[in-house]
Amino acid sequence: MNLIQADDLAKSYGKVVAVDGLSLRVQEGSIMGLVGPNGSGKTTTIKMILGLLEPDRGSVRVFGEEPWDNPDVKSRLGIIYEKARFPSQHKVRDYLERVCRIFGQPESRACEVLSLARLEDAGDRDIHALSAGMLQRFAIAHALINEPGLVVADEPTANLDPEARSALLDLILKLRHDEGVTFLISSHILPELSTICESVALINQGRVWASGDLIALSERLGAKTTRISTDSPEALAVLIGKLEYVIRVEVDGRGVSVGVLAGEDDRLYEDVPRLAGEAKAKIRGIETGTASLEELSRLAVKSGQGEDRRCEEAAPS
Amino acid sequence: MRRSRPFLEVFACAVKEDHRFPILEVFALVFTFGVFAILDLEAYAWNGEVFAYRLVSSLWGFPLSIIFVILILKNIAYGLGSDLDKGVIQTLFSYPLTRRSILRAKLLSAVGVVLLLVVGIQVFALLLLVPDVITAHSSVVFLTYAANLCSPALLLAGLVLLLTLLLKRGGLPLVFGVVSCLAFAIISPLVTSIASATGSDLAMRIWAVIDPNLALQSYYLGTAGLPYAARTWVPSFAEVILHLVAGFLIVAVIFIVAYRYFERRLGI
Repeated sequence: MNLIQADDLAKSYGKVVAVDGLSLRVQEGSIMGLVGPNGSGKTTTIKMILGLLEPDRGSVRVFGEEPWDNPDVKSRLGIIYEKARFPSQHKVRDYLERVCRIFGQPESRACEVLSLARLEDAGDRDIHALSAGMLQRFAIAHALINEPGLVVADEPTANLDPEARSALLDLILKLRHDEGVTFLISSHILPELSTICESVALINQGRVWASGDLIALSERLGAKTTRISTDSPEALAVLIGKLEYVIRVEVDGRGVSVGVLAGEDDRLYEDVPRLAGEAKAKIRGIETGTASLEELSRLAVKSGQGEDRRCEEAAPS
Repeated sequence: MRRSRPFLEVFACAVKEDHRFPILEVFALVFTFGVFAILDLEAYAWNGEVFAYRLVSSLWGFPLSIIFVILILKNIAYGLGSDLDKGVIQTLFSYPLTRRSILRAKLLSAVGVVLLLVVGIQVFALLLLVPDVITAHSSVVFLTYAANLCSPALLLAGLVLLLTLLLKRGGLPLVFGVVSCLAFAIISPLVTSIASATGSDLAMRIWAVIDPNLALQSYYLGTAGLPYAARTWVPSFAEVILHLVAGFLIVAVIFIVAYRYFERRLGI
C-alpha cells in the first residue's frame, strides 16, 4: 500500500518552476530518501505532500486522502521541518505536554519522546533558549508525540552533531523495525541516507529523474564508480576529466575515482592506458563497483544540465 | 478525538504568546476608575441617554482606545505575522485542526481576549459605580460600545489581518494599522468641519459608514458640544442603525475574505 501517492505535481512561484510533473510513491513500512541539489524542488514537494502548499497541477494523497487542511491526515503524520520553529514562550516539557493534549495522547508521552530525542535534561528549559542542535532534537521529539504512521522529514539531521545524527538514524531504523513507521526523508547528507533508505527518489529541476530501490537503481542506471590506482593521480585525473562521458573525477590517496555515464565503462577501460601513457603515470589496478547515492545524485544533476536520462522506477534486485 | 480540545490548547498557546498579564489589565482598570474620578458627572446629566452615551464614550476615549487598538493590531501583525514569517505556523498546521480553527484561535487571542478584558473591566465599573445607567439605558451602552468597536478597532484589525496574510509578515501591516488608527482620530472632526464649512453633509454620511460612531455622536449630541460650527447632519435613529449595520458588514466582508484566503489559498 502506498502511504504517499503524488501524481504529476506541478508548482510555480511566479515565473520560477519549482516542481514540474513530479510523481512519487512511498510504500507503507519503507524508508524513502528524497535526493537532489539545492533548488531541485524537494522542499516544495514535501510542502505539497504536507498540505502546506496547493499544487498548481496534479494530485497528492497521503493515507489515501487529500492532505490539504485535513485534520485526519495530520493526526497520523509526524513532521520534521528543516528549520523548525515553535511558540517561544513555553518550556520544553510544558509545550510537549500541550501537544500531547492536542493529539489526545497521555501527558506521559512527553517524557517518552524527550527520552527518545535524548532531551531528558532539557525539559525545564525555555524553548527559545535551546541551541540549534537541541531545537532540532526537540523537533524530532515533537514529531513523534502522536505515534505517527508516517514521518516526513526535511533535512532532519541539519544542525545535529555526529553523535546525535547517528542516534537519529538508529531511532529511525528502530521505529521502522519495531512499529512499522514509514519515513520520507529529504537530506543533503547522502552517505547517511544511503545507510537507512531502501529506496530513493532522485529529483532534479522539479522532476523525479529516477526512483526505486537503491541498488537496483544503481544497476539500472549503470552508474558505477571505477577506482584507478596509480602513482600520478593528479595528472591522470586532469586528462580523465576531459572525457565527455565522465561525470565525476576525484583524487583520493594514491588513486582516482571516476564516475561515468551508463554503458560507458568499457570506453573508460580502453582510454585509461592511453591517458596513463600521456600522463606518464603507472597504473597499478582498475576496479569498478556500484555507485554511491552521492554519485547517483550527481547523475541526476548532470541530467538536468542537458542530458535527459530519466528512467522508470527500479525494482529491488 | 474531540475537536474542541486541540482548539482550546492552540488558543491557550496563542494567549500565552500574545499577552503578558496583568500589565495592561491593570492599566485599563486604573484608567476606567480614573475617568469616573475626574468626570464631572453633574455636567453630563443633561438627560439619561446623552449621559450614558458620553460616559461610555469617555471610558472608551483617548488614550485607552488608541492603546488597545494598537495592542490588537500588534497581536495580529506581530503575533500572526511573525508566525508566518518565522515558520511557527507550519508547526501549528501540523496539528489535527482545520486552518479555520487555527486562525479562529489566533484571532480569539489577539482580538477577543483584549476586547473582552477592556470591555469587561468597563462594564464591571459601570455596574459598580453607575448601575442605573446600565439598567435604564442598556441599549445606548450597547450601541456606543458596538460603534466604537466596529471602527476603528475591528475594521483596522480586519485590514491588518488581510495585509499580514497577503504579505506573510507583520511589519508593514502594523505600520499601516497604527497610522490608520491615528488618522481615524483626525478624520472624524475633519469631516465634520468640512461639512460645516461647505454646508453639505455628504462627507459625513459617507464617513459614518466607515466610522458609525460619527452617526451615533451626531444623533446623541446633535449640535451640542462640538469644537466646530453646528453640525449639518443629525441622523434619525434608523439611520444610525443603518450605518452601524453597514459598518459591521464592511468588517464582516474583510474578515470573511481573510478567512477564505487563509483557508483556501495561503501557501506556506
